[in-house]
Amino acid sequence: MKTIDEFVELFGELFDDIDTSNFTPETNFRDNDEWSSLIALSVIAMVDDEFDVTLVGNDIKNATTIADIYNCIVAKSE
Amino acid sequence: MSFLTINNVKIVGLSACIPPDIEENRGLAIFSDNSEVEKVIASTGIERKRIVRPGTTASDLTYQAICKLLTKLEWHADSIDALIYVCTSRDYIAPITSAILQDRLGFRNDCYCLDLPLGCSGWVYGMSNLASLLSHGQLKRGLLVCAETNSQNRSPKDKTVKPLFGDAATVTALEFDEKWNYPMQFSFGVDGSGYKAVWTEYGGTRNPITPEAIKEKEIEPGVIRRGIDMVVNGMDVFSFAIKVPPRSLQEFIEHYQIDVNDIDYLFLHQANKFIDDRIRKKLKVPEEKVPFCLQDYGNTNSASIPLAMVVCKSEELQKGIHNCLGCGFGIGLAWGNVHYTIENLKAVVLHEYEY
Repeated sequence: MKTIDEFVELFGELFDDIDTSNFTPETNFRDNDEWSSLIALSVIAMVDDEFDVTLVGNDIKNATTIADIYNCIVAKSE
Repeated sequence: MSFLTINNVKIVGLSACIPPDIEENRGLAIFSDNSEVEKVIASTGIERKRIVRPGTTASDLTYQAICKLLTKLEWHADSIDALIYVCTSRDYIAPITSAILQDRLGFRNDCYCLDLPLGCSGWVYGMSNLASLLSHGQLKRGLLVCAETNSQNRSPKDKTVKPLFGDAATVTALEFDEKWNYPMQFSFGVDGSGYKAVWTEYGGTRNPITPEAIKEKEIEPGVIRRGIDMVVNGMDVFSFAIKVPPRSLQEFIEHYQIDVNDIDYLFLHQANKFIDDRIRKKLKVPEEKVPFCLQDYGNTNSASIPLAMVVCKSEELQKGIHNCLGCGFGIGLAWGNVHYTIENLKAVVLHEYEY
């Protein structure tokens, strides 16, 4: 299983327009100009590819930070 | 997953009727700016759709699609033994629309007519129904209609829906033939726990139409709809679509010991290019074997697989033998796979609706 830092990096790669080098596990991923429902779809796709875990809409909606999503993946992989 | 094999039924013709009016996604007022629309186009692959004028129903499109196809097949209206109408945008709450079409088309009174209110899995389910009926050999000729007027039952002010869905009617003509040696093979699945992924909350008997249900409400910026408009929860549909259809296709291929390398065409429900590309890659099917008409027609629900056959492979399907896979998935949530052979179709018609 990938570490949370690796996940933060993969998460940042889904953004094209903004600088994501300052993303940390505690970053509020909605708090920028680029976050959209389309990036949410690419998060679901990336998690399917990298972790073989299927996130649903509520997993994203209920999350605030990147770590929240990572924790959800961890819970779903157990 | 349930499996079904049907013998002695072949596809003899296909037709599609599309509205002449084109709605471009670039320029839709619901988007906040150009970059938003370009992102939607890049991620869905949908640039434009065909849209009916208000007052035109799916059965109007169907009527012309059937007339054109019967002429080309040289089939007389009174030779049709069965008509199955797959559509969620029905003419009336009651009765079934296939009865209306039986009368309008001059089909016999003993023509077997049935409506199936299915969405994106509808062509596969409809094929299994009609082919099953015909396989007994008593009913010889059948028409499977897969039609939808999405522009009429969804909110034009909902940016999560408006750019995605188009209107079309398709007809697949099937015939009993005891010498036909290629079985149709099917598998099916459903997961009703996902019924809210794509649904229309008001207008049925659980939640009847009330004055409140026909009021427009802003759910979030760019998403204004009424209770009677269809809701598409994109993230949930996406989670389902990238997981279940590829797995079920894989199981299907293993069950029937199909060699994917021998497949000439994989016709996927034209949902969204991103989803369909993922399914294609998971199955390791080369791009040229997966036809797309999505960019010009959008998602036309149950009509999308036959529409892709008509729009993309009309000439090819009229010549030679083609080993095909079809996969429909969506609302329900429901999905279905079919392995079928097409040989020298007698007719493939693409017709623009004449008002």
